[in-house]
Parts: sequence; C-alpha cells; structure tokens
Amino acid sequence: MKNVVVIEKYYLLQAGIQALVQEIPGLFLSKSWLGDEPHLTEIILKHKPDLILVNPFSLSGENISLPGKFRSSRNTKVLALLHNKDKSQSISGFDDLLFYEEDRFILEQKIRRQAGNVQNPGTNHQELSPREITILRWIVKGLTHQEIADKLFLSIHTVNTHRKNINKKLGIKTVSGLSVYAIMNHLIPMEELAEK
Amino acid sequence: MLIHKNMKLSEVVHHDHTLVPIINRFGIHLGFGDNTITEICQKHGLNVDFFVTILNAFHDIHYFPKEQLRNFSVALLIDYLQKAHRSFLEEKIPEISLLIKNMTEKCPLDVVTSQLITNFFKEYTEELKKHIRQEEETIYPYVLLLEKVNQNLPVDEGASGKINHYSISAYKAEHEDVEEKLFDLKNILIKYLPGQKNDKPVYQLLRELFSLEKDLNEHARIEDMILIPKVEAMEKTLRNKNPNGPV
Ligand SMILES: [Fe+2]
Ligand SMILES: [Fe+2]
Repeated sequence: MKNVVVIEKYYLLQAGIQALVQEIPGLFLSKSWLGDEPHLTEIILKHKPDLILVNPFSLSGENISLPGKFRSSRNTKVLALLHNKDKSQSISGFDDLLFYEEDRFILEQKIRRQAGNVQNPGTNHQELSPREITILRWIVKGLTHQEIADKLFLSIHTVNTHRKNINKKLGIKTVSGLSVYAIMNHLIPMEELAEK
Repeated sequence: MLIHKNMKLSEVVHHDHTLVPIINRFGIHLGFGDNTITEICQKHGLNVDFFVTILNAFHDIHYFPKEQLRNFSVALLIDYLQKAHRSFLEEKIPEISLLIKNMTEKCPLDVVTSQLITNFFKEYTEELKKHIRQEEETIYPYVLLLEKVNQNLPVDEGASGKINHYSISAYKAEHEDVEEKLFDLKNILIKYLPGQKNDKPVYQLLRELFSLEKDLNEHARIEDMILIPKVEAMEKTLRNKNPNGPV
C-alpha cells in the first residue's frame, strides 16, 4: 500500500481528488488538509507519505515551503494540483503536474506512475526480513536505535531505515504495539520484554 | 446536513445518532420532544451558537469553522473540553475495558494474547490520563490566566510568574502519540489476532475503539487548531503591549 496525502483548500476539489485516489488500487488515502494548518510540514513528515498531492496555491504562511522539503526525495513524490491556466506561471520542483481539466485516466496514469517511482522496499513485500526480525527483537527488549546500531555494526541511519520499514510492513508504529506483535508471533518470550 | 439552531433536536438525532453522547456532555438528555435546539439550550442556560458549532464539527469532519470557534471565549471552550475529558475517562475507557474483558472470555483467546491486549490498553489508558492531567493542571489554567491578563483583569502575583517560562509548543506532539497507540491496537485486532473464531466480541470492541478515535481526534483538533492558536495570539498581544514584560 502506498500512503497518499492531499492538500487542497476547496471542498469540491478535495472531495474529487479523494474519490480518485480511493479508486486506485494499492493506494491508501491517509489524510487531507486545507493548507493553512500550522506546522503542516512537520505533521506531514510524521505521516511518511509516499505521495503528496498538493495544490500549491492552497498553501499559506510557512507552509509555502512545504513542497521544497520533499524535493528530490526518493521516498516521497510530490504532485501539484493545478488549473490549466496556471501553466503560464512558473511552477517547478514537482515530480509531475495534475490539471483539474484532465481526463480521469490521464490523472490516474500520472498518479500510478509516480507511485511506482517511490523507492520503498517495505510496501510490496509484507514479511519481515531476518535482519528486520533481529532489530524488532532488540527494539521490544528496550534498546535504543543507537545501541542496536553498535551491536550490529550498523550506522544509526540504517537502523532508523529498518525501523521505518518494520513499522510500515506491520502497520504498527509504537514500541508497545510492536511488543504485542513480537510476543503473539513468538519472536520473543514475554519475560524478555523491556521493563515498563 | 448542516445543523441549524431552529431545527428540532429530535430530527438532528434521527439524522445522526452518534451525536447523543456529545449532547449528553452538555447536560442534555433524551426525551427532547418537539423542542428546537434554541429552546433546549435556553432551558439549560447554554450558549446555543457554541452548542450548534460543536454538533456540526462532530457531525461532519469537513465542517470546521475556525473563525467562529475562535470567537468563543476561552472559558467556554475549556469548559467543553473538560466535559469531554470526563466522558473519555469515566465512560469510554471503562466501557472499552469491559469489552476487552468480554472478548478475552468469549473468543476465547489464549492467556498470553489476552494478557498482552489487556496490558496494552492499560498502558494506553495511563498515557491518556497523564496527558489529560497535564492539560487540566498546567495548560488550561495557563490559557485562562492569559485571557485574564489580556482583558486587563487582575491576576494574583504567584500566577503571573507562570507566564514567564511556560511554553505550549512541547505539548502538541503528545496528541500524535495518543493517536498512534490507538491505531496500533486496532490494527493488532484487525490483522494479527491469532486463531480466534468468534468475531462478534472483537467487532463490538473495534466499534468502540473507532468511536473513541473519532471523539479524540475531534477533541485534539479543537485543542490544536483553536486553543493553541488563541494562546499564541494572546501571547503576541501581550508582548506587544508590554515589550519588557514577562511574556
Ligand atoms: Fe484534552
Ligand atoms: Fe489533548
């Protein structure tokens, strides 16, 4: 499942885009915003979207810099939602442009193409890899990412990436949730859980 | 449907029965007769515009009248938020605990799974309680104090010291944490519940979890998008009024 978020201030347009995304198999519409919410960039970063569909003219205040934050990201593709008449203005820094006037199938094609471009090893293959299982065990035993990195001779960045993939594959984000999963699946005996 | 104050409350509930617990929060109970929302609010001494705004916000996630909500007094907002806290802690949470117990008995689940889910929810409850306690003991009093200062009402000396160093920015991330844990619990039940054959108790539990999630999200939305911007605006006004002052 690819995680999609939408930013569009007009209700009719937002509802239409949401309906389109929900029609496309393999995409999950996780949330929509109007564009004027405070600290939107940080909120969206936390959602870890694969695709952002954003009307750049809906963004206001500090949020104007939002598309730039994801520029040339391999994990998130950003598509602009625009009117044909906006073509004349210089719109740059997006992975593709979607025009309100366009045919449904063209829109769908463009969205699918970008969804396919997202480099995301975690989404197609739901089973945890042996390495991920090792890391999951350490996490629920209460080790920090740094401690795990030291033990496995990995960089902290690599451990962070593994953790993101674990969260994504299982659909569980919190350590408590991961602990429940690990014990239910006999990856770790209950006695070895971190003391709370 | 856009709820209007001239509508009969009974018609509103026919249209969306999930509003009943919200209506209860205002001290209004079933047996509405043919009374309109305005009439019922007058009888209970409630601000009808506020009541209608909250009902609309809850009924339709797309309805979020920031400007209108911001015009209500902070005291009115906080009174509502605290009523919602009571209903989370005194009604929703105990109800869900019972449903978890019911599920572990009726499904039946193995001992370890039962214990895990029970503990997970206990832990979640503690986190939610802690968050609510922090709001009621620190954040809300701070906001009320700010409003007083802003209206040039007298405040006692000890209290104004608080304004000095209190910052609201740290607290926002907590809403996300509470949200994530609840999502994990739902997903564990939906995806990973091992070898159980009786879905009904699980479904009853899930239904309540979805309802709690909706309620909490709406609540956090009011806190994040109305209360906090109000605080930020008041802090700014105070700073401008008194550039050398404590804020
Ligand atoms: Fe609250
Ligand atoms: Fe809160």
